[in-house]
Formats: sequence, structure tokens, C-alpha cells
Amino acid sequence: THRCNLQFTIIIGCQTRAVHSAEAEVQTLSTAVSWTQTQPHDEAQELLLQPAADRLDPPGLKAFLQRVEDTVIRELDRNGRSHAFDEFQVNWEDQSQPVSCLHCLQHPSAQERGLHVTSVSWSCTGSVIACAFGRTDDGDWITEPSCVCTWNLDRRGLNPKQADLVIDVATAVTALCCHPQQPALIAGGLYSGEVVVWDTSRTQDPVLVQTGMSADSHREPVYQVAWVPLQKAGEFGVLSACSGGRVLLWTGDLNEGRFVLNAAYALVPQQVPHSSYVSFKARGSSTVGVTSLALSPWDPDTFLVGSEGGLLLRCSFSSQTPAAVPSEGHNVTLRAPAVFVFRPRSGPVHSIHCSPFHRNLFVSAGTDGRAHLHSLLQADPLLSLRVSDSSVFQVQWSPSRPLVFAAAAAQGTVHIFDLGRRSLRPAATIEQGGADQAATCLAFNSQNSHLLALGRTNGTVCIWQLSHDLTEQSPREISQLEQIANQVAA
Amino acid sequence: MAEVEETLKRIQSQNGVQGIIIINSEGIPIKTTLDNASTVQYAGLIHQLVMKARSTVRDIDPQNDLTFLRIRSKKNEIMIAPDKDYFLIVIQNPSD
Repeated sequence: THRCNLQFTIIIGCQTRAVHSAEAEVQTLSTAVSWTQTQPHDEAQELLLQPAADRLDPPGLKAFLQRVEDTVIRELDRNGRSHAFDEFQVNWEDQSQPVSCLHCLQHPSAQERGLHVTSVSWSCTGSVIACAFGRTDDGDWITEPSCVCTWNLDRRGLNPKQADLVIDVATAVTALCCHPQQPALIAGGLYSGEVVVWDTSRTQDPVLVQTGMSADSHREPVYQVAWVPLQKAGEFGVLSACSGGRVLLWTGDLNEGRFVLNAAYALVPQQVPHSSYVSFKARGSSTVGVTSLALSPWDPDTFLVGSEGGLLLRCSFSSQTPAAVPSEGHNVTLRAPAVFVFRPRSGPVHSIHCSPFHRNLFVSAGTDGRAHLHSLLQADPLLSLRVSDSSVFQVQWSPSRPLVFAAAAAQGTVHIFDLGRRSLRPAATIEQGGADQAATCLAFNSQNSHLLALGRTNGTVCIWQLSHDLTEQSPREISQLEQIANQVAA
Repeated sequence: MAEVEETLKRIQSQNGVQGIIIINSEGIPIKTTLDNASTVQYAGLIHQLVMKARSTVRDIDPQNDLTFLRIRSKKNEIMIAPDKDYFLIVIQNPSD
């Protein structure tokens, strides 16, 4: 069909030419199908540290390695077999004496009242020493007020005769423990059975939380307090143990300023696990008076308990066995935590401490004058070392040397033992004898491992400095400790 | 490329070897078997030390030159094979 195009004549005067049009037909004769696609760029395996973007090694690297490989392998092999440096140790810090006394701290008003130092604890920063005063000898209810003093050893102008901070307490303080993460908090156990946490950063009333004399609290002197990490990270509870056979776990309610009982454990003779040679007679007492407590830094479920009667028990926080005691109106059910009994001692176990370097080892000491090295895996001790003729009040492992521990004896001497030595005699001794200067408590400083604090019955706290030998770990110590721990009888 | 890796594997398989680092003459790490942070730390410190050791040797006797450097510490031993373009650093704990 034809198409017509109209022509216009515009009046202005332009004229377009005629538009020519024509028709044509087109048809494809052949077809072909094809498609294209982009491919992702091959991701070059860029070596982390290669400056150039290419994937080849830098020039000359192969040749360099070929040159040095043999020498290096020969040296490595020789070094692995060499005994040249076996017992070679370098002493960078010069110390002539194994122990030297740095400070002798006193609180005159406590001394005038004849108070003993019952417990010492270093703050988590390692610069502050907190000392609890009270009495360590037997007696009736002590209604005499006592105190807790702190000294900051890093402060210039340290006055050994004047404490930086004195917290007055209504009764004797029998246990003390600084918070493992917050330097201002100190937990204390009192002769009256109360458990208190002081906040030393508060200028007014330092008491942050306390148990008060509620139905839940202890009725007997609290001989040990310890901070226990709770399930929520960063939160801690306080574990307290008293001579009434109760171990209680408290969490602090900061709003109320009171402690809330989280878990309670009661130790009774009937529920002590049986052991083949332990014929423990109850002696008419219905409780197992707890005199010492130790937490395991390796297993959050385990804790160790030592009693007045010489029992040494391994206990579990998660034990569900109800305790065979009459209900005392506690809000929480009392549980029996004892899981395993070690060979008992003839007298009270004053101190237990778990090794910070081996999960199965712990050391204990009591009135038999010996320090016993135990493994959690067996009832008999691995090793028994004679410390003194009288009671040993405290033992503690060194925080820096796996084979070293210190023991404080009633006569006043402190012996430091090194299990790496062949002899069983102490590696160093702090002498300062006299009946009125019995050493009641000691504490290693974990931040500054060369410092050791020692509290005495004459009301003084001495800070001793240990030599390099006693604090610097030598290369094979951990394996030596392993060997000792593996001496467990099959 | 594969030969370089194989050489490093052979060295790594020696007794007690804890790590291997190769740095270039400017102290920049080229290859490593350790984590990034440690590598960067070792590279910077050891490069300076090797330069100092080399200049010590050459100051004492200008005809002499450093061929190998070993640093023995309480915990381990660091062996350094220096060269014009690269340094090979191997950290070994011989008691392992």
C-alpha cells in the first residue's frame, strides 16, 4: 500500500521539499544463538605481608633460603642436643642475702591493746598490704574492738608506724581477703561470726556489705574468707568458713548493704566420706569445725577444707546431698559438700593452699609441725616436710616459682622450701624468734613476687624481700613439678 | 614458590621450633609462621639488633662480617641467619 505524506506550505515562506518514501521488506535468512557472561576476577591469594601485588615470591628469596637452610638446620639440631646451657642461669639482679627485711609495720594503738596480727592480704595491685588485728589464742568471746590497717608500700613517705588507713571494727577480725580485681574492696571475717566487706575508697563509712546477725550467718568465729568468682563474669561472691562447721557463700546486695546467702554447706562427721583407714570418731561433737579453706584456681567446683579435728577434705560446690543437720531457719538448704577425704592429721589443719602451677597439687600444714604436699588424686601425701617442732600456722605457694612454698611456724621462724633442691631442709629461713613473736600469717605478693608479708603476735607486720633465686623461675621447674605430681601411687 | 614453602616446612619440623620469620633488608616481614602482632614485634626489634651486631663485628675488624646471630634467653633461643637482602629468624625452645 502506498502512503501519502501531506505537504505543507507555511505561509512564512519556507517550503520543505517533498519527502520521499519507499517501502522495502527485509527477512532474516539464517539465525544463530549465542550468549556472553562476565566471569568474576580471579581473587589473587594476596599474602598478608607481601608488599607487591604479585603472587610470586620476592626475587632472590629462594636462593637465599637455599644458601642458609643447611646452616640453620644444623644449628637447630645441634642446639636441640646440646647440654651446654643446662644449669646455666644468669643473675641480673644482684642480691647477696636470700631474705632481707624491708619494712616493719606497726599500729601502735593495736599493739598497746596487745592485739595480734591475725591475717594479712595484699591488694590485687600489689602495692597495698592489709592487716587484720585480733587475737589468735583461745579465749572467750572477745568483745574488745580491733581494727584493719592498710599501708601503701609504693607511696613515698611511707610511715611504718602509722597506717594509711585504719578501719575500726567492733570485734576481733579473724580472717581477711582482698578482692582479686577491685583494689578498694576487702572482705573480712569476724570473731562474732559476721562477714563484712569494706570499701576503702569510701571516706565515710567503709562498710559496704555485711551479714549482720541474721539467722543465716555464722555463730562461730569465721576463720577464713575468700572471694569466689560467680557464674557471671566479673562478679564475685564471698565464701566464709567458721568453726561451727558451716561454709557459706554470700552475694552482696549493694542497695541494702547486706549479704544474701547464695549457697550453704554444712560439714558433719557422719557425712564425711569413708576411707579405708580413717576411723574417725565423732568424739561427741556434731560439727566439723572448719579451720582452713582453699579454693582451687584450676577447678571452680572444687574447694578444700581442713578441720579442727585434723580432717582434710575435698569438697564440691555443686554437691546436691542435703546435710544431715536440723534446719536452723536458713533460707537456703544446707548441703554436704565433702567428696573425698585425705589422710587425717592428729591436730587442727591450720592452712591449705593449692598450687598455682599444677592442678592436682596442694600443700597443707597444722599442729603436727609438718608441711604435707598432697595430690588431689590420692589420700596419702606425696611428701611430708618437717617445718618445726611446734604448730605451723600458714603455708603458701610462691606465685612465681612452682617448686617453692613458705611455711610460718608458731615459734616465729618462717621457712622457705624449694622442692627442686635435693635436700629437704629449707632453702631460706626468716628468723625472729621468741614466744611473743609467733608468726601467725604470711602472704606472698603476686604482683611483686619478691615481697613476702609476715604477721606476728606482737602486732607487727614485716615485709621481707626475697632474693632472685627464690623468685625467678628456672627453665625446668614446671617439668620437675610434674614429676613430683606424677608420683601418685597407681 | 613451592620450594620456599618446603624449605620452611623442613625448618619448622626441627626439634622445638616455635616459629619462623623472614624479613627483608628493610625489616619488613615477608613470611611468617607466627601471628601478625608477634611477627611485627620480632621483625622490628631483631632488624635493629642485627644491624647493631653487624656494625660491631665490622668495627672490630673491617674485613670481618656477621654470619650468624644467636640470642639465648631463659625461655628459648632466637637464631638469625642474615644476608644482604633477607634475614631468616627461627625461634626454638631446645628443651621441647
